[in-house]
Parts: sequence; structure tokens; C-alpha cells
Amino acid sequence: MEERLYDLIFICRPDTPEEETDKIVATLEQSATERGGKVDKVEKWGLRRLAYRVMRYREGYYVYLVVRSTQGDLIKELERRLKVADPVVKYMTVRLDEEIKRQQKLVRRRERKAARRPRKGAAGSEQAAAAS
Amino acid sequence: MADESPKPQSQGPPRREGGAPPRKGKRQYFRKRKVCRFCVERVDFIDYKRAEMLQPFVQDRGKILPRRLTGTCSRHQRWLTLAIKRARNIALLPFAAEL
Repeated sequence: MEERLYDLIFICRPDTPEEETDKIVATLEQSATERGGKVDKVEKWGLRRLAYRVMRYREGYYVYLVVRSTQGDLIKELERRLKVADPVVKYMTVRLDEEIKRQQKLVRRRERKAARRPRKGAAGSEQAAAAS
Repeated sequence: MADESPKPQSQGPPRREGGAPPRKGKRQYFRKRKVCRFCVERVDFIDYKRAEMLQPFVQDRGKILPRRLTGTCSRHQRWLTLAIKRARNIALLPFAAEL
């Protein structure tokens, strides 16, 4: 089955101790591996000012995860755990695999177009990597 | 869309102001064909996680700026809107900010 790729971001209360957030990440990782998924990347963005008040807080501790899975319901499980976790005040999952596919299609199409006509000094297409 | 090319026969008030309408109602009409920033850079993905990228396309009050002010093309404007709305959901951008 095709593999799905997700961005998962959650925000903890600013006064959450480090071990708490680590524990949450570990729980998520465990749930993922139990269901044949994998956590590709974990990034702790740390404390950031929130654009608006969430649960009476003005700042939050951001954690960013990249999750891969072949099973769609993994996300439901992860979100359930986040919902239940006390320190977590907000979370959001974004499904990215379709997006990536579309991106690659555009890149391929662009490369094909460029290869078709001989261009002299074609500044290699500045990839989206710079801007994404 | 308004045609700005100067025509040999004059049609009323001369339209030399980059597409400003003859009447004085609206402030801006076209801004002399500003190009889409994203098209120039050929971006394929507008990342909702980078608020600093999105900031210039948002008003002080947090509202999304219309295409005609930013010069963005329709495709990128759609992606931009999606990214902004996602960023708002994750508190990276405000929904509404006090003026």
C-alpha cells in the first residue's frame, strides 16, 4: 500500500518540563511503530510567542514531527493521545504525500520543458527547496 | 481585465497612471503589472510553517491581502491562502489582530 506522509505539530504549555515533552514524543513514536508507522523527524522548536491566546497562554512550546505510515488510522490514534495529554494545548496534522506528489509532477514537467528546447546558460531551476 | 496599452485614438481621460480608473472611487486598480513573487522564484510549495514567509501577505489586522495588491498569481494565491489558514490554526499567524 502506498505510504502516507504527515506533518504533525503540537504545542505544549510553556511551563512544561522537558521530560514531559520527551515522554509525549516517545508515546507517539511507540504508537507509530506499533502500527507499522515511523517517526521520521522530531524537531523541538521550543518556546514561541503565540499569535493569539490559547488556554490563557501567550507562549507555547512547539514540537514538530514528521510521520510516515501505511495505515491511515494511525493518525487518529496519535491525535487521540494528544487530545488526552494534559500539557498539550493545540495540535495539527497535515497530510503531505499528495502535496509531494504534485510538487514532483511540477518539477518533472518543468525539467521536461527545459530539456526540450536547448537553452543556453539556463540557470538551473531554483528548486522549491530554497523557499519551502 | 483592464487593457492598459495606450491606444492611438484617445478615449476620454488619458490612462497613463498604471491603470487608474477615470473616476475617483477606488484607490488602486492595477499596480502596473506586478509579477508574482512565487512565480519568479518558481516555488512549488508554500510552507505554512514559516510565518516569516507568509507575513508580507497578511495585513496588519491579520487579514489576507488580495491578489491585486500583492501581485500574486491565482495559483499561488490559492496555495498561499491555504498556508496562511493552516498557520493560523497552529497559532503562527493571528486570525484577527488588534489594529
